[in-house]
Amino acid sequence: MRFAITMFSLLAVASVIGTVLKQNEPYNNYIIKFGQFWFDIFNQLGLYNVYQAFWFLAILIFLITSTSLCISRNTPKILKDYKSFQDRIREKSLLSFKHSYQFSTKKFKAKKIIEFLSSNNYKVKHKISNEEGDLIIAKKGDLQKLGYIFTHLAIVVISVGGLLDGNLVFKVQELMGTKQIQVLDQELSQIPLAGRMSENNLSYRASILLSEGDTKTAAILRAKEGYLVQEIPFSITLKDFNIEHYSTGQPKSFKSDLLVRDKKTGESITKTISVNKPLTYKGVTIYQAAFEDGGSQLDLLVWNLNSSQPSFKMNSEVFKNNKLTFENKNLTFEFKDFRKFNILEISNNSEQKLKPTNVGPNFLYKVRNESGQAKEYQTYQFPISVDGNYYFMSGTRDSPQEEFKYLKIPADKNLSLEGFMIFKSLLNNPQKVRDAISKGINESAFETKEKKEAFRRGTQNIFNSFITGGYSSVVDTMDLNTPKQVKSSDKERAVKTYVNIIYLVGQELIKSYQNDNQGKITFPINDSPRFIQDALTAYSDSFFYGVPLYLELKEFNHVQASGLQLTKSPGQIWVYLGSILLVMGIFCMIYIQEIRLWILVKKGSNNLIVSLATNRDRTDFDQYAIRLKDNIKKMTN
Amino acid sequence: MGLKMLRNIKDKFMDYSFGIALACLTILAISKFNNFMDIYEIIILIGSAITFTWMASLWPNFKKLFVYTFLLSFISIFFYKGSLDQIELNFFLKYFLSSQSAIMWMTALYPLSLVTYWVYLFSRQEFYGNLATKITWLATMMGFIGLLVRWYESYLIGIDVGHIPVSNLYEVFVLFCLITSLLYLHYEEKLEIKKLGAFVLIIITAAVAFILWYTFEKGANEIQPLVPALQSYWMKIHVPANFIGYGAFAMAAMISVAYLLKDKSIMANYLPDLDVLDELTYKAISIGFIFFTIATILGAVWAAEAWGGYWSWDPKETWALIVWLNYAAWLHLRLIKGLRGTVLAWWSLMGLIVTTFAFLGVNLFLSGLHSYGEL
Ligand code: HEM
Repeated sequence: MRFAITMFSLLAVASVIGTVLKQNEPYNNYIIKFGQFWFDIFNQLGLYNVYQAFWFLAILIFLITSTSLCISRNTPKILKDYKSFQDRIREKSLLSFKHSYQFSTKKFKAKKIIEFLSSNNYKVKHKISNEEGDLIIAKKGDLQKLGYIFTHLAIVVISVGGLLDGNLVFKVQELMGTKQIQVLDQELSQIPLAGRMSENNLSYRASILLSEGDTKTAAILRAKEGYLVQEIPFSITLKDFNIEHYSTGQPKSFKSDLLVRDKKTGESITKTISVNKPLTYKGVTIYQAAFEDGGSQLDLLVWNLNSSQPSFKMNSEVFKNNKLTFENKNLTFEFKDFRKFNILEISNNSEQKLKPTNVGPNFLYKVRNESGQAKEYQTYQFPISVDGNYYFMSGTRDSPQEEFKYLKIPADKNLSLEGFMIFKSLLNNPQKVRDAISKGINESAFETKEKKEAFRRGTQNIFNSFITGGYSSVVDTMDLNTPKQVKSSDKERAVKTYVNIIYLVGQELIKSYQNDNQGKITFPINDSPRFIQDALTAYSDSFFYGVPLYLELKEFNHVQASGLQLTKSPGQIWVYLGSILLVMGIFCMIYIQEIRLWILVKKGSNNLIVSLATNRDRTDFDQYAIRLKDNIKKMTN
Repeated sequence: MGLKMLRNIKDKFMDYSFGIALACLTILAISKFNNFMDIYEIIILIGSAITFTWMASLWPNFKKLFVYTFLLSFISIFFYKGSLDQIELNFFLKYFLSSQSAIMWMTALYPLSLVTYWVYLFSRQEFYGNLATKITWLATMMGFIGLLVRWYESYLIGIDVGHIPVSNLYEVFVLFCLITSLLYLHYEEKLEIKKLGAFVLIIITAAVAFILWYTFEKGANEIQPLVPALQSYWMKIHVPANFIGYGAFAMAAMISVAYLLKDKSIMANYLPDLDVLDELTYKAISIGFIFFTIATILGAVWAAEAWGGYWSWDPKETWALIVWLNYAAWLHLRLIKGLRGTVLAWWSLMGLIVTTFAFLGVNLFLSGLHSYGEL
């Protein structure tokens, strides 16, 4: 008993560790978190897979054995107790009970009392002996005694079921050296026998990732820092994968149309599975577990954000790499993911309230340079509303631990990118800029031609430095050219003036563009100051975008992959049976009260003794005992 | 004698009419909405009708609560005229019977009843005691109306969005308040322990405070559609069963507080006997334990359907196990070792901490499959 409680406590402590330390993460994450030293120690203790660690299994096994021992020791006694009527009890001990009553009787009729007790659900035994006299023994609620057996047996049954479904088989094979966890990425067919678990593996929870149209004949078992191949008795083909959405855009259902074919007989079935509706075939249950992209085709336009060069096309696929030479550098574009639906909390229009809204497709890619460094990009296809204005959003980050920093390109009047792209081309057109600056300078504001010319040249310089590096470059140039002793407030004022000048030039550029292209109004009219400011900011931010190439998603062909989980779990039935036993046992222990009752009339005496005993003396038992006694008294008078 | 018999006949009559009325409603619901229910949900509906009829026959005040709650909910639904816009337009909906208003009334009434119980405790005037009980009943009714109408509202948002309101932390917190207070009200009536309301209502008021914070800071009261994993009849069983467990454990902890105070002779004159408190703690924990056990097992059966395995050592599962082990130990000590008194009272109070961590801490600090109610 004490031993079992200790085991239970250990189990609880282990469980706490298991929940506090995130389980089954890639081992690299742990190294980053704890450092190599602690990583090794924790690894030795098996803390990254607590529930499969040897010591954890050992606790379970100890629990099973000690509880079984406990049961086998106590059960005979309990059963004996259960059957016995305790009819050898003596008058003296009867009188010593807490609930014991004596009174005289006139007409003692055993039969009547027995009937009464039976109708109150007592089991009754009548014993007439020559020396003692009449003894009636009654009892009820003795199922309570069995509660102990039920609950403890339940613990054993459940634990055994749990062990059956654990990975004990693999643990043993690993110890013997016949199986080995694989860590390298390889083709399934290349994996050696040591990395394959046979079809007859007692139990497993393996996974399969299938693209639409694909067929697979084996599953993957994740194990510690690597994986194993789990052979299965059938092949699975994903015919179609479907996501349904609520009108708000959140996912409503994930469904896979499967074709499952028995490897031996060739017999096949088709079935649509979804979350909460798995398929069981040949003792293996197939679940809808996850989904990801299965290699969607992406038709892209590549824009150079800070030159007037025209865009060009790029076609790719998720999980494919495209090579590109840009400014003499060899870049690799690695496409990682595509999502057709994205729910963001955004505010539509000028309303303040955030609402989950589907903002449409986005895609994820990395741009890697020759030295292997990569930056990650996440770009949305359509503009997203921010406080009522629409922007094309593209995030960048250097590592997955960071948040994305977004480049926000304002959408033009037609909610397209074109306006901005025209604008940045104008910015990079020296002739247009020169004209715009000249036009923008108010003739009359200057006393002499020289002063005007000086101002023009100054403006040109500021603007040039903006074109080549954005606002920060403007500030840098200014810092270089101003003496140290200039006050910072003056500097700030100067910066403001510069920003304003850049804005005015931008405005002039747009105005002249609109004049040249009458009838085709691209830029927002009512809202043009905001557009120009946002466009200038976006242009300026593009210098921090990594490679200044913006990928615009034009078309896509969505190919999905469905993540299935395959579970073989022979222990399940035992766990369920154990659970039923457990509930029954607890119910017996808590809600059934055991009561024993003796009525004794001694030979030759008209004195009656009524004694009651219960194993759990509750406050309401007093009243019950008195009531029962009164009833019996009535019957005997 | 004659009067008593008459009353008996009247009670029987009420019980039967209640049962028949509920049966009619159930049949009506099944015939009208069977397109929206699978066979399991129909079974659950019938099972609930039977359970409620049974409870109502044992506990007349529950019957009253049930009748008023349903009447008012139907009136509320009538006011909606099938459109959420009515919440702003209809006076009664806006201030009383829309889901949100009803729940707000609940959050106002529970703290009020807490105060009234304390006034009663010190004034010892029956008037305040009865008033406190009435307020608690009223709060509970408003809460149930809030949930029932919320259920209806969810269908107005979208016919595919509709679902029973036990799917996220906000909803289950309301449920927690209601179940805890119902359990308490039951024992208050049965065992004449009115003074304990002053303690039990503390934990309910704390939950109310959380609901208010969660509503106003996080806007958690918005109805969200169900993620695919939750679309199952299992939710209707698993979650309520869990919260009967939690409610009972919470009540046990608060009674233990009373026990410990009395044991230290603090407010001793104002509190029931130690025996009564001890016994009540035991009763609450055993009810809670049965339901929590069943809920955990049913959770496992559901998990075998939704997550591909009956046990995945997901943090919520694991903490449910820890809570279970904790109370199993408590019951062992009492039933097998025969322990009583202070140690067990402290233990049940500490149990509340473990339970709260399983309830809230897991959602706050640990992530897993089971993160349906995020903070
Ligand atoms: C062995 C398996 C499971 C155990 C032990 C378990 C345990 C619990 C516990 C203790 C609660 C109480 C509420 C809380 O602490 O927040 C709870 C609530 C809940 N469970 Fe489970 N559960 C299991 C499986 C599942 C499954 C498979 C689902 C659905 C796919 C589910 C859905 C929910 C929901 C929706 C709630 C209420 C909302 C919430 O608290 O966030 N549970 N469960």
